[in-house]
Amino acid sequence: MKVQVLSEVCTGHGRCYMLAPEVFGEDDRGHCQVLAPEVPSEHESQARIGAEACPEQAIEIEE
Amino acid sequence: MAETEAHLLVGVNAPDPKPAYRRRRDECPVLRTGEGGSAVISRYEDVLWALRHPEVFSSDSEAVSIGNERPLIPLQIDPPEHVKYRKLLDPVFSRKRMAILEPQVRRLAAERIEAFADRGVCDFHGELAEPLPSTVFLQLLGLPLERLPYFLELKDGIIRPEASATPVSRETTGRKIYALFEEALDARSAEPGEDLLSWMSEEEVDGRKLTREQILDICYLLLLAGLDTVTASLDCFVAYLAQHPERRRMAIERPEMLDGVIEELLRSETPVVTVLRVLKQDVTLSSVELKAGERVALLLGAADSDERSFDDPERVDFGRRPNRHLAFGGGPHRCLGSHLARMELRAVLEEFHARIPEYELAPGVQLQYSPGIRQVSELPLVWSARA
Repeated sequence: MKVQVLSEVCTGHGRCYMLAPEVFGEDDRGHCQVLAPEVPSEHESQARIGAEACPEQAIEIEE
Repeated sequence: MAETEAHLLVGVNAPDPKPAYRRRRDECPVLRTGEGGSAVISRYEDVLWALRHPEVFSSDSEAVSIGNERPLIPLQIDPPEHVKYRKLLDPVFSRKRMAILEPQVRRLAAERIEAFADRGVCDFHGELAEPLPSTVFLQLLGLPLERLPYFLELKDGIIRPEASATPVSRETTGRKIYALFEEALDARSAEPGEDLLSWMSEEEVDGRKLTREQILDICYLLLLAGLDTVTASLDCFVAYLAQHPERRRMAIERPEMLDGVIEELLRSETPVVTVLRVLKQDVTLSSVELKAGERVALLLGAADSDERSFDDPERVDFGRRPNRHLAFGGGPHRCLGSHLARMELRAVLEEFHARIPEYELAPGVQLQYSPGIRQVSELPLVWSARA
């Protein structure tokens, strides 16, 4: 699984890194930072939960 | 307005506004109220689109006037200028920075709760929900705590001037707010501290230090946006939890669920019901044509209970997935203080429930929710006091 954040779409709701702290982190502004673009299999479900929670739909997952 | 639409104006300020929200979404998703030429937008997809397109739905000072002399920063500055201020302010209100503040907020909450825990009764709004966020805010800005009553008076003078015993115009109150911050900035520049006012005095945008006016325009907004909203959220949450004991027990027994509890109550209560915009271009939403210059209210509460976007939206589900609520708005103007708000909500709920896990509304009380920002100014609670 690959995950990426569209940084021009993210506005820093922070739902992703609240729900999926192993996959998403935050930069100084509180905007999403992908911790590792290649998601280890044990964190795949967390990645989905974090991505689907984004009100801006700024996170893309490729499986 | 057609008579057939009169029923659409009823019930939006009720303790449970969801039936009224539903009628609007189903029957008239873009409702012209006839008040000030404004239109009210109710469906989730429309509201989200508007929030994400400030070049169409502008947030500039034409959208709302609240006694300020210049545009509030950053709310009334649209992109691209807007991002410069958000880059400056976002880090100060990030989740990481708020975590540093959390122990202090917990102490403040605990002190206030201890003061009434043995009494078996409290005025939740007046004794906790109102003073706590304001006290946190005064500390954050480095303002003297003994100014709290004056501060609350100024805030209410802008937000609900009609409720005051001696009403004055918003402009008059606005001048007092500028004066208060002027005085505080003078004091801080004589003796800088670790507070937000001292920090702003040193910061730069576009390679130039923030001017006194820019700092005042930021402070004015922080005062108006940061206090009532957390107060209203606490009122709404605790009113719900007082009336739903099984849900409350579940939240207390499963502390790992607390973030989910808070997000779902943010969605289901949506304490800040509307945000205001002004159209800069003609646009068509839900088959209704809107014209440049029209004022528009985005009904966040109705968006957050839209069955087109949420499964079984009127059910309160602490484990809801996904929960893309718009309680903090969305797009570039998304609430700057959302992480402060979440931290305060978490701290107060945990500290309150640790001392008072079982409580209910005082017998016979009829809750009244204020329009626009859903405060419950009379929220008496009762419980069995410790012996």
